[in-house]
Amino acid sequence: MTIDGSGKTGPRVGEIAMAPVRFAMGLVDAPLRKLQKVAGLGGMATFFLLPNMLIFGIFVLLPFFINFAYSMTGGSALFLSDRSFVGVDQYARLFDCSNYLDPNSCAEDTFWTAVGNTGWFVVLQVTLMIAFSLVTALILNRDLKARSFWRAMFFFPVLLSPVVVGLIWKWILQRQGLLNFGLYGFGFDPYAWLNDRTWSFAAAVAVSIWAHMGFYTLILLAGLQAIPKDLYEAAEMDGTRSMRVFMRITLPLLMPNLLVVIVLVLIRAVQIFDEVYVLTGGGPGTSTLFLTQYIYETGFATQLRNPGLAAAASILMGVVLVVLTLVQLGLGRSSDKNGGRK
Amino acid sequence: MGHIKLTNVAKSFGNVDVLHGIDLEIGDGEFVVFVGPSGCGKSTLLRIIAGLEKPTGGELAIDGAVVNNVPAADRGLAMVFQSYALYPHMSVRQNLAFGLENTRMPKPEIRERIAEAARMLEIEPYLDRRPGQLSGGQRQRVAIGRAIVRRPVAFLLDEPLSNLDAELRGSTRAELAALHARLSATMIYVTHDQIEAMTLADRIVVLRAGRIEQVGTPLELYNAPANRFVAGFIGSPHMNFLEGTVETNGPGKTVATLAGGHRLEVPLDNAGIANGAKVTVGVRPHHISIGGEQGLPATIRLVEALGSETVLHADVSGQKVLVVAPGQHDLAPGADVRLSLSAAPLHMFNEKGLRLGHAV
Repeated sequence: MTIDGSGKTGPRVGEIAMAPVRFAMGLVDAPLRKLQKVAGLGGMATFFLLPNMLIFGIFVLLPFFINFAYSMTGGSALFLSDRSFVGVDQYARLFDCSNYLDPNSCAEDTFWTAVGNTGWFVVLQVTLMIAFSLVTALILNRDLKARSFWRAMFFFPVLLSPVVVGLIWKWILQRQGLLNFGLYGFGFDPYAWLNDRTWSFAAAVAVSIWAHMGFYTLILLAGLQAIPKDLYEAAEMDGTRSMRVFMRITLPLLMPNLLVVIVLVLIRAVQIFDEVYVLTGGGPGTSTLFLTQYIYETGFATQLRNPGLAAAASILMGVVLVVLTLVQLGLGRSSDKNGGRK
Repeated sequence: MGHIKLTNVAKSFGNVDVLHGIDLEIGDGEFVVFVGPSGCGKSTLLRIIAGLEKPTGGELAIDGAVVNNVPAADRGLAMVFQSYALYPHMSVRQNLAFGLENTRMPKPEIRERIAEAARMLEIEPYLDRRPGQLSGGQRQRVAIGRAIVRRPVAFLLDEPLSNLDAELRGSTRAELAALHARLSATMIYVTHDQIEAMTLADRIVVLRAGRIEQVGTPLELYNAPANRFVAGFIGSPHMNFLEGTVETNGPGKTVATLAGGHRLEVPLDNAGIANGAKVTVGVRPHHISIGGEQGLPATIRLVEALGSETVLHADVSGQKVLVVAPGQHDLAPGADVRLSLSAAPLHMFNEKGLRLGHAV
């Protein structure tokens, strides 16, 4: 490396670093020029988009259509060619209910239990996640001591794998876990938190919030920091009370970020599976059985696996997600029109 | 009422002292401009008056009452921010009403005040638009309107014209002067643009590195700058400075020898300065004329023909001199000319940069 008198690295470093790039470009230059002559400019655009289109097609679109085909077939055979066409029977079976609010009245009662659980989970998760991450972002946006440390602390769980998250909390909450060990020190009897229907559901919600809150806090924090400080100073000059500042200035200006967070939390909550599966396994009973776990177990894990039914359930879940996302996007667009930062 | 008095006001951010004991009195209805280079503390001083920053020392009084611990909202002041600080999600009308609603003012009165301000600033057609749908000049008016509706004892304006283009800045400047005449309210205005300072101010406060260099009317500062810094800061183009030494020092007349050996007579009353002392002679570009047998020999380096006047960049024995000559001149770079200072008001500054007393 050559360093000149000014302390800057000399031009040779850049030249050396660029040499392999230049060599590679030299190799592809001639064939690409030939291709452009044949395919034209538009054709070149398609050529460069092709790898991504292929990946999307093979790993997203194709499985989607195969899944749809599975949902129209019956039996437990794995390969599509060995399966019999049953039309919409699988959907009909899922919807075969005398009272949708009572899973026991349905032919596929576990599906409706999972739907009910997931519904509750989504409501609690979205409400609490927004509340906690907003409050955390507001606190972290203040002039705290060691602010960077606290930001890192709140973001840290996001870096953990969901299985690790599930295991950590299992070790804390199980009968011989850390929580009971601590409580025992204060004279309390140990309690099997994860064997209690209410507590295990609450744990599923809480653990999921703990694991992902950092990410949403970060999005909201970025939104808060993008609000110009002098708007708050103008409000201060106007003698605006802090609650009114929050309701009339912070919240409306944070709305684009809040909408993004709501969409992301909602989609993730509907898809909840991994950390809760490790934590409770869906139990006790079916108290923490969620839709994705139902699909997974119906399709792959039970003795009498039914890929067709699982495929139908996942198509229904996909429809719900698409509808929710479209509603949120619509809301986002109207909020952009009615305000937002300019 | 809008009488503001600062006594020994100081401000530090950590170990950095930003303001060092500012003493200043601003009369009711006065238009005072704080001017100075970036980082001189002028905005901090304004923010201390506003109540957005707390002074670390000294006392601030508004209409006789010390307000050091009075919240910004209760000082009866209104501020116009450099960025306008309009709430982007509210209409112009809501922006104007926001501060008044905080005081629980009856709605009819709010409507009346908004209508009055909108009429005064000619923003009536835009009342239902959002700031994002307005031009820079219109936003500027709304920001001023938001201050007007509060009927404050004093207006604080923090570089309010800096985001406007040159043409709009000129017209808005004139409107601000008219507004001040109509409202007769105290206005404190921060700028780094000395043309704004000269045209708007009743009095200018020149700040440098957290200290007041001089306070006075625009013409006092132009004609009798207290020191070399003020002399260089006020006036456009800035004053020329020629280094030299004192040769003789008689009553009413001091002769200085410039770097090139040329002798210059300065009508000083009592220089109080020893022969041989180093001095700087200051002369404004507009006061130098071209020609004259006795003039300073100079070489033209650059000619800027502006039509109504010509700006000449000249070299006088290695020192740069700017000349603004009225009319058009047929001069080219490289031309040798003589610069006459015989009719020019000359200023002399000692080694510390302080201006020495004048005979005229």
